[in-house]
Amino acid sequence: MSDPKAFDKILTEIIRQDKGIKKVILVDKTGLTIANVSKLSYYPVDVDSIGAIASAVFCASEEQGKNLQIGELEIVTSEFSEGKIFASACGKGVLCVVSEAEVNIGLIRLVMKKQGVQLADELDKFLAVEPLSPKESELDEEDLKSALAELERV
Amino acid sequence: MKLVFYGPSLGGKTTALRWLYGKVEGLQKGEFTAIEDETNRTLFFDYVPMSAGGRVLFDVFTVAGQKRHRHQRKVVLQGTDGILFVADSSPDQRDENTESFEELKLFLGDALGREIPIVVMLNKRDLPNRMSRDEMLDLLGLGGNVPIYETIAVQGVGVKRAFQAIAREVILKRMYK
Repeated sequence: MSDPKAFDKILTEIIRQDKGIKKVILVDKTGLTIANVSKLSYYPVDVDSIGAIASAVFCASEEQGKNLQIGELEIVTSEFSEGKIFASACGKGVLCVVSEAEVNIGLIRLVMKKQGVQLADELDKFLAVEPLSPKESELDEEDLKSALAELERV
Repeated sequence: MKLVFYGPSLGGKTTALRWLYGKVEGLQKGEFTAIEDETNRTLFFDYVPMSAGGRVLFDVFTVAGQKRHRHQRKVVLQGTDGILFVADSSPDQRDENTESFEELKLFLGDALGREIPIVVMLNKRDLPNRMSRDEMLDLLGLGGNVPIYETIAVQGVGVKRAFQAIAREVILKRMYK
């Protein structure tokens, strides 16, 4: 049985590894955010949007690698003047780490690789138990009927 | 639930989504995210989360229509639950419409129209030299089983109805699968 809190626990372990890490997000390959943790609770970002872009960028790079036949993609690093974004494969998901510019890149790569294996296992368990996303899995017929009614009123 | 606006370049996908985002009340909407170039042409996708009925969330995407962005389109299509195909009524865009629709069929295979519902928007119906509805349906090889809406995205004509139609199809698919 998959424990939904397992994701938060692993993401929290990652964020504790380096003081420069500001946010850790787990997304699936369709762009849906599964879990996220922040160092500062008021860190003002639209997580769903960041997750969707991180997943798309990672999948696009994967596609690029496939076309060029250069093997499996392990990590995508985006370096900005005031921060960095790392995205790595973790089974059926993508692990995204947002950090300050000055961080120990080697450590982050290592942590992402190590924890990525655990996340991949948890994701497999999670998806084996419930094929829908966490948000969707809670939807029942009443929710869907209510959405249909709402759509008619729009 | 993931909905994707698909279609040829400059056909009106982003315009339609922006119109929905800016003008339609009654749907709760998140931030509008656009990955575009300096001329506002979509490079990868536009994205808006929308909610109907409180607990049902639609992640609405558009794709980049230009031919060179084929691989980005394939990525955006992953996990899609419904397609809004935006066809361009300009006669100059005959081939682009066909190519785009063929590409969509190639990417989604037999799932298109079965597991993944599709609604077609015949856009730019205000063009004086627009192709006729029948001509466009022939062009795309569409029979009577796909919902078709004639739209003018810049004015919002028909856009809301087309969106309601695909959202409804996707919800019904989820309810009765």
